[in-house]
Amino acid sequence: MQRRTLAVALSALALLGLTSLPASAEDKPTVIRISFPGAGTGGRPLQGGSFPSNAHLFKEIDDEFKADGIRIEWKFFPGAGPALNESYANGLTDVAFGHGDLPLIVGRATGLKHKIVLSSGRLGNSYFVVPAGSTAKSVADLKGKRLATFKGTAGQLTLYRWLDKFGFSDKDFRIISLDNDSTKAALATNDIDGANITPFDLQARGIAKSILEIKDDPKITRPGTVWVGEEFEAKYPQIVQRIVTRLVKVAYWSTQEATREKEFQAWATSGSQAYIDYKKDWDSVPDLRTRINPLLDEYYVASLKSSIEETKKFKLIRKDVSIDGWIEPKYLNQALKDLKLEDYWPQYDADGKVKIAARSTLAAN
Amino acid sequence: MSASIDDPSVFAARAAVHGKQQLAVLLNTARVVLGAIAQRAVFVAAGLVLPALIVLLWWTAAEHRWVPEQLLPAPTLVWQTLRELWASGDLHAHLWFSASRVAWSLLIGGSVGLLLGFGMGLTHTLRAYLYPSFNVVAQFPVLGWVPLLIIFAGIDEALKISAISIAVVVPVTINTLKGIANIPRPLLEVARVYRFSLLQVLWRVVLPAAAPSLFTGLRQAVMQAWLSLVFVELLASSEGIGYLIVWGRQLSQPDLVVAGMVVVGAVGVLLDLALRWLESRLQGWRRGAF
Repeated sequence: MQRRTLAVALSALALLGLTSLPASAEDKPTVIRISFPGAGTGGRPLQGGSFPSNAHLFKEIDDEFKADGIRIEWKFFPGAGPALNESYANGLTDVAFGHGDLPLIVGRATGLKHKIVLSSGRLGNSYFVVPAGSTAKSVADLKGKRLATFKGTAGQLTLYRWLDKFGFSDKDFRIISLDNDSTKAALATNDIDGANITPFDLQARGIAKSILEIKDDPKITRPGTVWVGEEFEAKYPQIVQRIVTRLVKVAYWSTQEATREKEFQAWATSGSQAYIDYKKDWDSVPDLRTRINPLLDEYYVASLKSSIEETKKFKLIRKDVSIDGWIEPKYLNQALKDLKLEDYWPQYDADGKVKIAARSTLAAN
Repeated sequence: MSASIDDPSVFAARAAVHGKQQLAVLLNTARVVLGAIAQRAVFVAAGLVLPALIVLLWWTAAEHRWVPEQLLPAPTLVWQTLRELWASGDLHAHLWFSASRVAWSLLIGGSVGLLLGFGMGLTHTLRAYLYPSFNVVAQFPVLGWVPLLIIFAGIDEALKISAISIAVVVPVTINTLKGIANIPRPLLEVARVYRFSLLQVLWRVVLPAAAPSLFTGLRQAVMQAWLSLVFVELLASSEGIGYLIVWGRQLSQPDLVVAGMVVVGAVGVLLDLALRWLESRLQGWRRGAF
């Protein structure tokens, strides 16, 4: 009897799930499913580190659609970018509030169809971290040793670029796949010999130390991406516009110096990085607009192209990926225009150098 | 079994010269042999019906996109991936890593299991002390051991080998113990009458009598090792068949995942067949030993 009730309940749930997918023919959905390519420590449903995560943490998107009765379903994946791809392939995600270059390209290569509407952020420092007791002073000292990265995420390509920079390839090391939490644990137990991770909290606790640091190098890290599923975009263009405009508004707010402390504290609640990690990691950017930048400028496009080349070079995709019709900047342009922020952010050229400097903050205030 | 289908006609031609009676006998033999072959063929075919249906369902589901192609690869794609893996030598490399892990674990876990089994089987005191504890520990699945093992053995090879070894110890010990416990008493009594030394008792009575059970233990151990291997390789690996499966998932290449599963299954069946063959060969030695 009980088993039957369960079966009925389950099939009812399945039916609900199915019927909620194709929303009614109106111009607004009943629910928008927004996904982050990660989760907090132990899988808690929180993300930090970017302005789209502020949109969640400070309930900006929920507020935007509250009056319309549109519910926002937030999704967080401990399996990061690859898991976000699976969710979208299963038809369970409408919008991604960030996606690293590798999983984004892998998804596109397997035939996932989405439109890139803005960038979730760029640059950032990258550290080469070893256990506290390690005698290694350089990447060369670690040759043949065990390095960890979360394979399938942007971190994998970042590590490969590090190795390439010092004249090595992934074949010169034993590279295992570990998520952020496990990497910290493995550094503490000496189970790995090195990883790219923000080191300040680990250093303070005497677990690990950073031996090398690359600051805001446009060739080491690549911009993150916010995308909208093609079907959703075609069906609800005005909803997409409202999401993008709100996000740009949040991005603007996130770049204010007055927001700095507030957002670092909010980001730290996810637990994947401590407050001190954000605080020190962002010390090198006096102007927050350096990293919090939603633009799809020449640098963004060139980065995406070179990431595709790298992905092919490392044989991480089998089908070629074309960027034709992938990037849809019209929502972003409209938002920048509506909010009068067209010249607010710095625009970079394909080489990652500032092409058009940002509007002076004094003028913005 | 070895008679080929052409044989009856050849024989029949000769038989016509020699006489009808002989022909009738030959035809009858041929009928029996053919009948046996046919029966065997039907049996094998019956076993193939279900896999064929599953492949058909899989193929149809992939063809009609019942499940998105990012999640369910077409059988042809899996086949192509398998061939590419084979051609590039990746498959050999991963298999070699997995096989060496299994071999080490069988060596370590098997030795411990044999020692425990023989120890508890031969001396009553040891059994009284150890068996209850062993019995409790044997109930834990390998999966349950892993979190604890990570703390002590880390996440590298030591974890993999120790986890698989634990999976091996249990069936080897239990079957060794059972094999010794089930040795017919009269055999041991005869050995005593002949004043066999301990070595002689072991070599001429215990080992041959317990051999079938030892073999059952070994076969179970190999299967357990192979199954646990895939699980432990899902954790923090950079090589091996289990790793190949995880890697395929990370890169959204489900064909790689399925190809990995196919290889695991195929190797499992091969291992089992090889052990069965070895077992049947050893039966001869066993008879000679008595």
